[in-house]
Amino acid sequence: MNGTIQAPTIEYALLAPMLVVFGAAIVGVLVEAFAPRYLRSAIHVPLTLLSLAGAFALTIWQAAAKGIPTKAAAMGAVAVDGPALFIWGTILVLAFVSVLLIKGEDHFVAAASAVPGSAEEEQALHEGAAHSEIYPLVLFAVGGMLLFPAANDLLVAFVALEVMSLPLYLLCGLARRRRLLSQEAAVKYFLLGAFSSAFFLYGTALLYGYAGSIDLAKISTAVGSVGGQDTLLYIGAAMLGVGLLFKIGAAPFQAWKPDVYQGAPTPITALMASGTLVAAFGALVRVFWVGLGGLDWDWRPVLYGVAILTMVVGAVLAITQTDIKRMLAYSSIAHGGFLLVGVIATGKAAAQNASALSGILFYLVAYGFTTVGAFAVVTMVRDAGGEAWHLSRWAGLGKRSPLLAGIFAFFLLAFAGIPLTSGFFGKYAVFQAAVSGGALPLVIVGVVASAVAAFFYVRVIVLMFFSDPAADGPSIVLPSRGTAAVVGLAVLATVVLGVYPQPVLDLAHSAAQSLFVR
Amino acid sequence: MTTHYLVLSALLFAIGGVGVLVRRNAIVVFMCVELMLNACNLAFVTFARQNGNLDGQVIAFFVMIVAAAEVVIGLAIIVTIFRTRRSASVDDASLLKY
Amino acid sequence: MEPAEFITHSGGAIGVAWLMIALPLVGAAVLLLGGRRTDRFGHLLGVVTALASFVVAVLAFVQLLGFAPGERRRGIALYDFIPGMATKVGLLVDPLSISFCLLITGVGSLIHIYSIGYMAHDPGRRRFFAYLNLFVAAMLLLVLADNYVALFVGWEGVGLASYLLIGFWQHKPSAATAAKKAFIVNRVGDFGLLIGIFTIFATFHSLKFAEVFPAAHGASQGTLTAIGLLLLVGACGKSAQLPLQSWLLDAMEGPTPVSALIHAATMVTAGVYLIVRSGVIFQAAETAQLVVTIVGVATLLAGAIIGTAKDDIKKALAGSTMSQIGYMVLAAGIGPAGYAFAIAHLITHGFFKADLFLGAGSVMHAMNDEVNMRKYGALRKAMPVTFATFLIGYLAIIGFPLLSGYFTKDGIIETAMEHNAILGWLAVLGAGITGFYMSRLVFMTFFGAKRWEGDAHPHESPAVMTWPLIILSAGAIFLGGFLIVGNRFMTFLSPAVGLPEHLPEFNPVSLTGLVTLALVAVGAVFAWFRYGAAEVPAVAPRGSFLTAFARRDLYGDALNEALFMRPGQWLTRLAVFFDNRGIDGVVNGLAAGIGGSSGRLRRIQTGFVRSYALSIFVGAALLVGAWFVVGNL
Repeated sequence: MNGTIQAPTIEYALLAPMLVVFGAAIVGVLVEAFAPRYLRSAIHVPLTLLSLAGAFALTIWQAAAKGIPTKAAAMGAVAVDGPALFIWGTILVLAFVSVLLIKGEDHFVAAASAVPGSAEEEQALHEGAAHSEIYPLVLFAVGGMLLFPAANDLLVAFVALEVMSLPLYLLCGLARRRRLLSQEAAVKYFLLGAFSSAFFLYGTALLYGYAGSIDLAKISTAVGSVGGQDTLLYIGAAMLGVGLLFKIGAAPFQAWKPDVYQGAPTPITALMASGTLVAAFGALVRVFWVGLGGLDWDWRPVLYGVAILTMVVGAVLAITQTDIKRMLAYSSIAHGGFLLVGVIATGKAAAQNASALSGILFYLVAYGFTTVGAFAVVTMVRDAGGEAWHLSRWAGLGKRSPLLAGIFAFFLLAFAGIPLTSGFFGKYAVFQAAVSGGALPLVIVGVVASAVAAFFYVRVIVLMFFSDPAADGPSIVLPSRGTAAVVGLAVLATVVLGVYPQPVLDLAHSAAQSLFVR
Repeated sequence: MTTHYLVLSALLFAIGGVGVLVRRNAIVVFMCVELMLNACNLAFVTFARQNGNLDGQVIAFFVMIVAAAEVVIGLAIIVTIFRTRRSASVDDASLLKY
Repeated sequence: MEPAEFITHSGGAIGVAWLMIALPLVGAAVLLLGGRRTDRFGHLLGVVTALASFVVAVLAFVQLLGFAPGERRRGIALYDFIPGMATKVGLLVDPLSISFCLLITGVGSLIHIYSIGYMAHDPGRRRFFAYLNLFVAAMLLLVLADNYVALFVGWEGVGLASYLLIGFWQHKPSAATAAKKAFIVNRVGDFGLLIGIFTIFATFHSLKFAEVFPAAHGASQGTLTAIGLLLLVGACGKSAQLPLQSWLLDAMEGPTPVSALIHAATMVTAGVYLIVRSGVIFQAAETAQLVVTIVGVATLLAGAIIGTAKDDIKKALAGSTMSQIGYMVLAAGIGPAGYAFAIAHLITHGFFKADLFLGAGSVMHAMNDEVNMRKYGALRKAMPVTFATFLIGYLAIIGFPLLSGYFTKDGIIETAMEHNAILGWLAVLGAGITGFYMSRLVFMTFFGAKRWEGDAHPHESPAVMTWPLIILSAGAIFLGGFLIVGNRFMTFLSPAVGLPEHLPEFNPVSLTGLVTLALVAVGAVFAWFRYGAAEVPAVAPRGSFLTAFARRDLYGDALNEALFMRPGQWLTRLAVFFDNRGIDGVVNGLAAGIGGSSGRLRRIQTGFVRSYALSIFVGAALLVGAWFVVGNL
């Protein structure tokens, strides 16, 4: 405190992937401001795709050529470690794929400010107006997703959470068709998201009061050494948990997920169901394992209950859904529960933690690809009013379009975790880690929930292949190259990860080996 | 005595939380969320005082900026749905259910 | 001498041994998925993949010969399904498996080529070749597997292909029934094998040959006997040994190339392979070995007796197949002294029996698909090539001096004689009966007077069918001597199955050999007087009760019906009753319960954002509460 301020050291090279994405987002905003309307999309699409690809390349380069850092970057605020790099790579690929989906068809509203059904909207449609802002918004959201799982202190985590969520709130409300639903989804997501992040922030405040710092490592040391302030610690940790569990859609904080997933434009749903989930799980695991690692005897039973509730709610409620997107949303809730099983599978031994973490990482990759693929298929099944969401409209799809129905059935089987699909290994890796971590009852619940879940997946398959198609059933739009590429890539990933998962398992394992830096 | 500030902060947080639950107007609901964020700020500043470091005060600035960004987004969304529905009641927007 | 060590291998033709399986598998996939688009070239693709597989097998064989004998067990790691579990899949190329590969791909390719001609006018030819390819792939997986799981997959695969091919002409009810019968009887055997595999895993905690066999001596006698008997049940099902023999005769409903490839040369010998491959286990369990030899002898006699009474040329040959496999099983039950003879006979049998079946197919082709030998006669002039090759196959199977069967069958008989005189003499008797029924078959078909039905115009088959016959008959002449003289095959096989304590000497004038020859000659002469010189009645005479016994397949079907089918039907009725009332009730109730709770629970999702916020609020309170409860425990 002698008046001089030390300039912080920032490891720009380590943060480069994030900086590229944020930089491209800002360039995108400038393009929005200065480029003529007809040029914007032509600039945005390559800019977005290139920046995501570039960030991915930088991530790979960091992991492969420069080695995994052993110390948190940016004065301990951002931890670019093995799991973070793996998650970055995953998010960037999933985001790239989602952007292909976003640019594929006219999913987005022509003029968001125009009241649905008004002359204004008519005119905007007529002029072929488009909101090219979605690209920078997506890039900001992806940047937030990258920062969130790497955040090594709770303030950065909070900022990342907001940077990730705020663009998504907007994007949710920009669907071209069924605009009332879309806007409703945006409002719900926004209010509930803000509500839950207030909990996260209050938890942060209490932990700051308890530990005197918001640094995860310092909180971790304080948990072992500070006594007598358990109230602050318990309430703080629980509230922090509320914010994180909300983002992954764990019960009882899952209510937003079906509504938002249904109302949002389908490509955005794909991005949320894959990228956001991956990022949120990365952050959840880091906060609970690093920051609250010394408290695991306390949080494990709590998460135990949450995981059971989540799996049961997700699987059981999915059964009676009649809307394909809502069903996939409940399925996503159930999968969040399965992943929580892996979060609980910690132990005293580092090897146990590594195997649980690598299981979670593999599951995230497997689920992310399959879910993007499934939503991509949803975008292709349409009738006069846009995408055909109601399940009854999917009846007999196997007779109309055997290839597409077959691919969708394959994704559903992967969700159900049938062997030789990626879903099997994801579940297997996570459940195996949980068994060796002593959480056998949880795994039993998980297996039962999987069986219930398999029921509604198979129900859709039966509906597609063994029902007669409706006379005025939906038509399959010929996919644009982007959408076709997304579906193809998702099929490929689901097959390869199901038949020859070893390379990715090894990668996840080596990423998990170093665990988290502090 | 910093405890009083903490109690006040908890009270504000609770009032904000309950407000979200009971108020119908989307704008008011949103203001209640802002109240919760400010309760957090108060807690941060208080703890900064208690812990004898400046972290908490700096965090409060960050939170304010985030809250401001949130206002921009939030008002945009709420205004859009208000224009469509001619109503700012959160209970009216309930097409997505079950 | 003990079998050699397992050596991990990569590179060369052995390193890509998986291609042998993959090529026909791809062929099958293309033909099945490609649909009618592949009709034009489907048969050619089938032949090419089989031939390519053969080329790989030959290259791998050559490479294997390049290693020192002690280093000829090469394991190839392929695939690790679940890391850290007993699911590592790999291939094992050793003298035993490569012998099978050469037989399967070699004879298989010839039969593929033959089928081009045989199935030329069949509308389902593409499907036929797809199934044949599928069979070749599955059979190769069976013999190349380095563990019991992959072996079982191949085992089921050949069963599937066999089922599909027996029932290839599904429009014939008899073919559909025969396919079902083969499937069900094989299920019994497969079930035994499966339990055997479970027992192996329970005992040794591994299913890899490389880990099970070295540990075999450590297990208790009772366990080993149980494993051996269970594996034998599996072998009996697949190889049509007593008491699971009944399906093979009906399986002749399939197209003749199928009978040649699957139900004579390769698939039905899988049981012998299993016993020889698991030799270490059997050698450690004497009781199991004894049962194997008894089953072998009983089947070799039963098959021969059935063969004497059949008028259907293919069924007579099927009886003969049963009988010859009985010889192999007998030899396989004896131990290291018999293994080489079992496999050598298996290989030569693969050649001459395929030759005989294809010859029979050629005859049927010429006779408008007539199978009743009483309606043949005097065909040697009409079909000279078929006759000549058939004759060679015939001489080989009855053990005519210096032909293949002479060396390999005689070897088995000699070994059995040394092992146990009763078994030996019964085997000699079987050889005598073989001489009779095979001569009967040849005389009825090619000699005597024409007994053709109205519009039959026998003609020689096209070259695409006769050339495979010529190549096969060349094998039927020379292969036996090549393998047996100087114990060439026994030495070659020894790294895989071990060697007996003293090597057998080939003795052309042993007592057993002379008696066998004499008995065969008696059988042949007897047949000449009854079926060659005398007139063959168009309708089979009633004959003695023994003939009736043989005609009814030794009452095997009647026995099955009384012992298994009727009680089985009762059991199913009972099971269906309980299933409807009990189990389905529980399952449906459970499903309805979950569905109902789902329907009620989803009402919680009211659509009001405030109620969602409430659930978050309450959830947060619960989380905090739970944390306090847990933290203060």
